[in-house]
Amino acid sequence: MKLVTFVYQHQERVGAVDDTGDIVDLARAYAGYLREAEGKPHADQLAAAILGRDMIEFLQRGERSLEAARKALTYAKTKRNNDNGGIVFNRQQIRLMAPVPRPGALISAGKNFSDHVAEMASKKGPVAPVAFLKLPGTVIGPEDDIPHPPEVKNLDYEVELAVIIGKPCIEVSEKEALEYVVGYSAFNDISARDIIRSENKTGIHLMGKSFPGFAPMGPYLVTKDEIPDPQNLKVKLSVNGEVRQDSNLGYMIFNIHAMIAYWSQMGLNPGDVLTTGTPRGVAAGRKPDQTPWWLKPNDIVEAEVEKVGCLRNRIVSE
Amino acid sequence: MKIYLGLLEGSLPHQTRLFSALDGKLIDLTLAYSAYLAQGQEARTNAYELAAYYIPSTLAGFLEHGEQSLKALEEAVSFSSKSGVDEMRGPGGEKVAYDPTEIRILPPLQKPEKSFVIGFSDRARVEAIPRAEIPSGFYKLPQTFVTSGAPIVLPRFSEEVDADACLAIVIGKAGRRILPAQAWDHVAGVTLLIDITARDINRREGLTTNNLLGKNFPSSTSLGPAMLLKPPRKDLEAIEVELSIDGSVKQKFTLRDCVFTIEQIIARWSILGIKPGDFFAIGGSLTLQNDRLQSPVPLKAGFNLRCFSPAIGELSHPIVSSGGIHR
Repeated sequence: MKLVTFVYQHQERVGAVDDTGDIVDLARAYAGYLREAEGKPHADQLAAAILGRDMIEFLQRGERSLEAARKALTYAKTKRNNDNGGIVFNRQQIRLMAPVPRPGALISAGKNFSDHVAEMASKKGPVAPVAFLKLPGTVIGPEDDIPHPPEVKNLDYEVELAVIIGKPCIEVSEKEALEYVVGYSAFNDISARDIIRSENKTGIHLMGKSFPGFAPMGPYLVTKDEIPDPQNLKVKLSVNGEVRQDSNLGYMIFNIHAMIAYWSQMGLNPGDVLTTGTPRGVAAGRKPDQTPWWLKPNDIVEAEVEKVGCLRNRIVSE
Repeated sequence: MKIYLGLLEGSLPHQTRLFSALDGKLIDLTLAYSAYLAQGQEARTNAYELAAYYIPSTLAGFLEHGEQSLKALEEAVSFSSKSGVDEMRGPGGEKVAYDPTEIRILPPLQKPEKSFVIGFSDRARVEAIPRAEIPSGFYKLPQTFVTSGAPIVLPRFSEEVDADACLAIVIGKAGRRILPAQAWDHVAGVTLLIDITARDINRREGLTTNNLLGKNFPSSTSLGPAMLLKPPRKDLEAIEVELSIDGSVKQKFTLRDCVFTIEQIIARWSILGIKPGDFFAIGGSLTLQNDRLQSPVPLKAGFNLRCFSPAIGELSHPIVSSGGIHR
């Protein structure tokens, strides 16, 4: 199943993509199902209780909300040709947000592909998983604009896979790690290299990774049943159609299991997001001259993860 | 004036309320304001709804309304004071004043977008290392927040956990790229914060310029117990904060000990944008003993950790091992 968060008439809603690519409003569809098939009174209220009011509440409900979502999708098929009462929308009627628009924690791996470690002239790979926190407020949707802040000279991109946690997860083993994942999304870890360089002196990366809009994510949360082997997915990023990054998640130094096991020591919750780190091909790694590759206003950045989805964001001057 | 976020005994987790202390009681500010609107000279029939709008269920929501909510707070408190705390009732006769034992106090801010601790802010620390030119900071995840009374659980993965007391400057007005001269207008108040660090992990993470597991684990941030509305700037600078372990004082500072001013910190970090309810915690990063700098004292199970400020209140915590908590 492909889950989304979308906006219709200024309201944020949780949805799922149907066979035709349209978006089904899960709360409305499930309420319809409860009313018609099960004869429930106050069906809207019950649907909200079962599905939650946003994606994090949806994920907190675990398998029960996923099961309800499947029923809602089946019910919505019968409503396609009717006056559907705001249940099914085509993509032009709505705006997609990131599937998890406000993750509790957004943990982004650094130095996690050997080819990227080499291009960034780092001495050696890490001994333990390296990651930093991006501010959850930096998350934007799959087609939103990325503001180019006037403070930043060296704006860069990093295609990654976002791994979305579905169950409370504390000190889990690598072997059981994937049981705590609900699904995956595409992710672009936008980075201000010049700000990060200045932060190196004080030892903490924060501002250079967390300007508003520095975390495009989406377009879907693809549930894990559709991705049997997340460790073998192609990742690709292009700027204005020119391919810059082209690799595979098989080259990760600490794989997805290891990342979840390690970061579960801090306690992870439904809707927390771990991103994998990026392979070679970032602007900062271009030799000898990086200048042509820094992102600039009007560039179109496309970040794609095989089977998971593609982000398409325009850089705009702020 | 101090504002607490709390839950009435027996109420549901989302039914948080704002309280202020008056004559030894905690008064429910929303209901007190309802009473003012219904019974006072305004005699409004929509008193409950208006009161819930201006004094909502969260501190961040309250701060969003700016001056209007501050005025509502003032009216609610002065009306309660005039009516007498013990006689005070809501428009429908509801109880307004509670014994502090009837309220579970929560961290005053629940999900700020920017909950930063400003690194190397202690003058002594900075004198020991090359002086930083800009105030750097790190982010404490809201899911790590606890408040006074909660046990602080030593994480299994660390051999060396310690604590730093901080004064957190709470933002009351949104803005971006704020000039130092305007920064004070964006401050709503202050609260206390204890930054718990797994120092061995933090040291290792420092080698790769990250700062995550060593600073963010369950109960690694204590916040509260109340937000003190901002006093005049010179009074704020005089607020004393101390950290003690089992009654022995380990850190003591005021904002005058910080190498960066509030204005410099807000000017720097508002580049990313700030919102009501965000905070910047400034604190002592080295331990003073007999006026000499000491390494921080590692916390052990059974210790009592206390951060105290006469103006704000206290955060007091038993330290427990991870084995002592049932997961």
